[in-house]
Amino acid sequence: MYEPKIIGFLCNWCSYRGADTAGMARMKYPPNVKIIRVPCSGRISPELVLRCFREGADGVMVLGCHIGDCHYANGNHRTAKRMAILRQLLEYNGIEAQRLCVDWVSAAEGEKFATLIASFTEQVRQLAPFVEIMQ
Amino acid sequence: MEYHNVLTTCPYCGTGCALHLQVLDHQLVGVLPAKNHPISQGGLCIKGWNAHAFVNHKDRLQTPLVRKGGKLVTATWDEALALIAEKLSALKAESGPDSIGVFASAKCTNEENYLIQKFARAVIGTNNVDHCARL
Amino acid sequence: MSERLTALRETIRQILPQVDGVIGLKTGPAGIVAPYLFKPGHPEMLDSLALWPKEPVPDTLKIIQKAYPNARLAIVCRGCEERGVVEMFKHAQVSLENLTLIGLQCVQEEALFCRCAKPYTVHARVTVGSPIAGVPDPLTEAFAAKSQAEKLAFWKEQFQHCIKCYGCRNICPQCFCNVCALEDEKWVETGRLPLPNPSLYHIIRAMHMTAKCVACRECEETCPAGIPLAIHFRLVARDVKEMFHYETGAVIEQKPPQLLTLEEGDYERSGLP
Repeated sequence: MYEPKIIGFLCNWCSYRGADTAGMARMKYPPNVKIIRVPCSGRISPELVLRCFREGADGVMVLGCHIGDCHYANGNHRTAKRMAILRQLLEYNGIEAQRLCVDWVSAAEGEKFATLIASFTEQVRQLAPFVEIMQ
Repeated sequence: MEYHNVLTTCPYCGTGCALHLQVLDHQLVGVLPAKNHPISQGGLCIKGWNAHAFVNHKDRLQTPLVRKGGKLVTATWDEALALIAEKLSALKAESGPDSIGVFASAKCTNEENYLIQKFARAVIGTNNVDHCARL
Repeated sequence: MSERLTALRETIRQILPQVDGVIGLKTGPAGIVAPYLFKPGHPEMLDSLALWPKEPVPDTLKIIQKAYPNARLAIVCRGCEERGVVEMFKHAQVSLENLTLIGLQCVQEEALFCRCAKPYTVHARVTVGSPIAGVPDPLTEAFAAKSQAEKLAFWKEQFQHCIKCYGCRNICPQCFCNVCALEDEKWVETGRLPLPNPSLYHIIRAMHMTAKCVACRECEETCPAGIPLAIHFRLVARDVKEMFHYETGAVIEQKPPQLLTLEEGDYERSGLP
């Protein structure tokens, strides 16, 4: 059993507030995710995700507002398109797509946030450490 | 409006890759590899791909520079060659021909490299001929 | 092949007086072929007109149109080159105004060489040769059938040969950004081969080719290491077609999906939760 290192990109308006909600309700979830707050999930370019992997992350989470709820109207439309393709591309490079989690968490969904982190951490833990498969 | 390609050999190393210089109205605008050339077969390295960059570069030396009073000043070719001849002859007279060495370059053509070794052996009288690729 | 050459020469000869120039291929010294701009006053240059090997002529069009935006031009283009011109038009790199497309249909052996699914033109009004059906791409199919570990091993082996010449980017008619992510120290370090895994150089390029790659295979042909780069692009193109119903070069009026918001059903097909 190893402790996976996970980077989480959370959008400021929904998912980060969702994390706050989870914290205020004192929900428990694994400490593996390092959270980076970004203005919008549409900001997360594929380069950022790949760089996380190169720096040794075992998994990357990109969480944004639900489709239709974006603070910037359609920022997360870009996330949806881009990340769907990136997941495929990771697959084509022999990297498990399960290492990249794309999901939508609203400010009220503290519980969803906690369960999502727990399940994703477990999911990544099942895979070999990223640096090992890349050797 | 005139566009054509000039077939030439890459000036960088001794491999002899062929490349096309794209010429638009007598201005060099880019490089294209030569696909059905027997040596490079359409491939180029990063130097070849940028072989057009230095031709019209503002930093490129267009006249010889001679150091006068600690400063490099532009000079004519006659002036520079006369200075070189004078200095080389003086060195040869003072310390013998083996005090002089000659460095050839992979960027030169075969013929140019032949000439420089001929110059070293027949004119100066030394076997001190070396080459940048023999590191 | 020579029949097609004669027919193309005749077609250009007829079009030449109506335009300022025709972009095509010309045999140069030692039989080496390069793009050339045939001018109306010099029909004798057509004697050295060539068909093969194909060259990235959409780029030539861009270079000439940049200097002469109002010139009336014609361009000899194969299926892939036509798709290239159309996609460059969508991204405001070339203009289709005052441009005549002369469609050159590929023959079977050329299509097999390129493993091309669409070796024919669809927009050109003037065409030379008869269109043939696409051929399968055995390399991509074989790759797609590999297991995840085999895929990883395959690219580890292939990317080992990469000398990072940036040739695949330079020759690509669809790579025209003023600021290139591949030259950014944050993603691709200078002085290091792309090997430190994952190869950001190749994945970023493949990502940026989404809904842009026209499957001309110029990148593969110019690669000094012989890396089958088109595998990535073709698999992604398949996904883009499935998810966003977009095919490069097919419909001139259809905007590329990366510029738009999600359409009805796009999200459901994307496979996200």
